[in-house]
Amino acid sequence: MKLRRILALAGLAALLAAAGLATWRSTHDSGAATVEQVAASLRCPACDGETVAQSRSPVAAAMREVIANQLAAGRSPDQVRTWFAQRYGEEVLADPSGRGMGSLLWIVPGLALLAGVALSVRTLRHRPGGGPPRTPAPPSASASSVRTRRAWDLAAVGVLAMVAAVAVAGARAGGVGSDDGDSPAAGTPAASTPDDALGRQIDLAKALEQQGEYGAAVEIYRAAAAADPDPRLRLRLAFALLRAGRPGEAAGIARQVLADQPADADGLLVLGLAERATRSPAASGTLRRFLRLAPDHPAAADVRRLLSQQPTAGSGPGG
Amino acid sequence: MTRRSRLLWSALAAAGLAAAAFPLAAGLRGDSPRPAASAGAAPVTEVRDDAAPPLVGVTLAGGRFDLSAWRGHTVVVNVWASWCAPCRQELPQLVAAVGQVAGQGVRLVGLDVRDNDQDARNLLAAVGASGLTVVPDPRGTTAVSWGVSGVPETFVVDGTGRIRAHAQGAVTADWVRQQIDRVATP
Repeated sequence: MKLRRILALAGLAALLAAAGLATWRSTHDSGAATVEQVAASLRCPACDGETVAQSRSPVAAAMREVIANQLAAGRSPDQVRTWFAQRYGEEVLADPSGRGMGSLLWIVPGLALLAGVALSVRTLRHRPGGGPPRTPAPPSASASSVRTRRAWDLAAVGVLAMVAAVAVAGARAGGVGSDDGDSPAAGTPAASTPDDALGRQIDLAKALEQQGEYGAAVEIYRAAAAADPDPRLRLRLAFALLRAGRPGEAAGIARQVLADQPADADGLLVLGLAERATRSPAASGTLRRFLRLAPDHPAAADVRRLLSQQPTAGSGPGG
Repeated sequence: MTRRSRLLWSALAAAGLAAAAFPLAAGLRGDSPRPAASAGAAPVTEVRDDAAPPLVGVTLAGGRFDLSAWRGHTVVVNVWASWCAPCRQELPQLVAAVGQVAGQGVRLVGLDVRDNDQDARNLLAAVGASGLTVVPDPRGTTAVSWGVSGVPETFVVDGTGRIRAHAQGAVTADWVRQQIDRVATP
């Protein structure tokens, strides 16, 4: 009996420690991650169910920048959140506020905890000596009260097991990379970086391409390619130029990429299509080289069809 | 456990469950963001009366702009971008509508969000609005300080520098006339 009580107390102490740790982790601001944390606590006003940290929309990108600027100017995360709530309304806050309906979300767990404590105190007070029953019970009542007590015990164990599972799962999830400043590969959600900005620019350009706004997409790709020497970006720019009806410029960029990487299938594809658009006799040769290099490329079937429609084009260098 | 206390605890448990379920249901119901204004639909208009944030910057034409220098005029602030299709349709109507009420001291300024200056100039030239005062906001941070959720959005600021109307979505010439009349009426 004593051992059981010690074990139960140890279990409770461990759970309380885990809950305290989890609370500390969720409220503790650790320098560099703060922009991400504030962004995660704000809803993106232009999106469905996404926070400012998750959304790739232009307004969320601008909001992240405002958060970074305000934190750099020495404002506290709460001041930043208040600033946003003044402009976008309370609904921009992802955390429930302490007022109105939101207050229930804070009060109810508190009441549940109080009720749990009251129940435990009541059970423990009745259990040790048993004490004289206040009302004389019929003989069958003792058996039913044992059953009731067992039911309460079972329910309590079930609730404790649930809390323990949540605490353990929460600690494990929080443990991956959130405080591990030493391990950059640990999956820390990246604070807003230039790479992010580049990714967003590329997303915007892709969206513009889908809307047929090739000229605008070209300008964004051009700026992105100037900032990042990745040949993939230059080829995206070349594709957009091709679609914008500027095959001459597209061919020039594709040739630059191919000068560094002569066996680049995408480079050959853009060059071949650009040459075809300018009625260059080299087009079919370039496209055939592309097919030899990447017979399973998603565009291969279309290119084969193009070549079969154009038997008169020059054979080109063949390579 | 007596029958009375058992009843009491059952009632408490039921009340606790109900109290837990109520905010949960309310939370699920209230989780959606503000209605997004879609292209072609009537703009979602909010009547307001609060101080306009600062709008200061260098215009596309290279001049200096400060909204507070236009005190005494009703100002229509249009938030747009050349990459936004509804903005392209809205801009000529807006320029024409404000042009019709310019005699009443109404002015129009554009806040060009996360855009390329040359694309913006091309669009203005294409719709015959090259003379429009436009403040580029390449990072979108000024738009955020105005509480903008997307483009296009339009604000009507009265002569004392207070926002009197805020529309999400493309506005029409009729909308401009209605709002100007409302702001002009004491």
